[in-house]
Amino acid sequence: MSQPALTVTDPGQAAGRGRRLLEIAGAASIAATYVFLVLTQPADIANGPASFSALVALGGFLLGAVLLIVAVLPVLPTSTLVLIPVALVLNVVLGQLMGSTGLPFYIDAIGTVLIGVLAGPAAGAATGALSSIVWSFFNPTVLPFAAGAALIGFLAGMAARIGLFRRFYLAPVAGFITGILAGVVSAPIAAFVFGGTSGLGTGAIVSAFRAMGDTLLAAITKQALISDPMDKGIVFTIAALLAYALPRRTTFQFPFVRRFRVLAGKAPSAPDA
Amino acid sequence: MTLRLHPFTALTAAACTAVITTAAASWPLSVAVGLASAVLAVRRGVAGRVLSAAAVILVPLFLSLLVLHGLFFPEGHTVLAAWGPARVTAEGLRFALELGTRTAACVLVFLLFSFTVSVPDLVSALSARRIPPQFGFVLASTLTLLPAVAGRLERIRQAQETRGMVIRGGLWSRAGALRLQMIPLVLALMDDAGSRAQALEARGFGSPGPRTSYRDVADPPAQRLFRAAAFVLAAAAVAARLVVSWPAGGPS
Repeated sequence: MSQPALTVTDPGQAAGRGRRLLEIAGAASIAATYVFLVLTQPADIANGPASFSALVALGGFLLGAVLLIVAVLPVLPTSTLVLIPVALVLNVVLGQLMGSTGLPFYIDAIGTVLIGVLAGPAAGAATGALSSIVWSFFNPTVLPFAAGAALIGFLAGMAARIGLFRRFYLAPVAGFITGILAGVVSAPIAAFVFGGTSGLGTGAIVSAFRAMGDTLLAAITKQALISDPMDKGIVFTIAALLAYALPRRTTFQFPFVRRFRVLAGKAPSAPDA
Repeated sequence: MTLRLHPFTALTAAACTAVITTAAASWPLSVAVGLASAVLAVRRGVAGRVLSAAAVILVPLFLSLLVLHGLFFPEGHTVLAAWGPARVTAEGLRFALELGTRTAACVLVFLLFSFTVSVPDLVSALSARRIPPQFGFVLASTLTLLPAVAGRLERIRQAQETRGMVIRGGLWSRAGALRLQMIPLVLALMDDAGSRAQALEARGFGSPGPRTSYRDVADPPAQRLFRAAAFVLAAAAVAARLVVSWPAGGPS
């Protein structure tokens, strides 16, 4: 996997090749686990629960997430680090708030995406993975999805870096693409570890594909391709709204935002007309 | 329980139990593990919280699994009943039972751990090892921030309702109400985080080097031994499962 470094290294800072290697190892672990699971998926799950695939999925994805955290966390500046708990809390609380309005989406990554946009891909990936680990104190079933959550934060940061958040209509597009990738990566976890999805609505979609004779992994991947891009498109739009609703003084204090001109508009130091 | 467990001992026990249950893949064992966790939760006095948290997670999952595998399981051969495209097969019900009990056992074991562990002990144990101190900070900060934020959101909602916000009506008015609550919350939290960063930085949080802690968590040798044994057992279970059901074809 050829990937740019996850950390935004300041010029002159000896970030160390070790961390870079850890980042690459983490990403490679996640990618290799996914490829292995798809290639070796049990042809006939009627022979028993996919215990082998479940162990491989858990091991590979969690190892990748932990490597990413170990590589990224110690080099984050304190101003970014204190935002990670805020992002985790926002993931949880805004998800519940969306639920209370009765809108038919389950939206649990707003904080992760917001950190990815404001503080870069590395912070986004670490926030996603940490969010799953801490949230698993209340709901252990989110722990296996740590790799998918890290991918969402990373892709949000990359989208911000190449300027997709400068034009408002591009944010949902970036979310849509992120949703496709994250949904596909998370599908083996849902299929092999839990044997299905936890929501009744998504379960109905999976049932429809199963009724047509798909394998479990194929059915869940197709379901993820239906619901996740929509969900992440909304999440990215909300994160963009929040990023623009925050005062410039707050958003432009992030080096990532200043360096890559993530948000449209001038820095607050420029005299406003 | 009079025995005071080191946080790592409890964590190792929970993780290894979950791994072994997953590797064993037999529903009687899963049920036994789930029941044992429930009994331990009752004895530690956290049964109400553990069981209600587990019910919120597991009931939708069970229903979903039952509908999914109970009605549509193309691999099943023993058809018990059929309505059009939906066929109830013995294999499908068995699959739902296996996966449902396995997930339930793991969820109960981990919830038992997280509701009985003392977070300050866990954080000081983490920082005593070579785990980045930032991890302990994120963990403890989130767990203490969550209840505070729930209270703050309630105050924001009350304040906005005083100003005339109504959560009712169509999609757009609901989205508008959401915006009125979300933006003040995010703004306040980001602002807090900024001042917290300055306070932490002033106290040397970002500087490298070892940390000392006021809390000293006892780690008796017997518990170290137990952890090592649990690791070996879990590794053996995983190895046995990998050897037994290594895909015959292998990656092509």
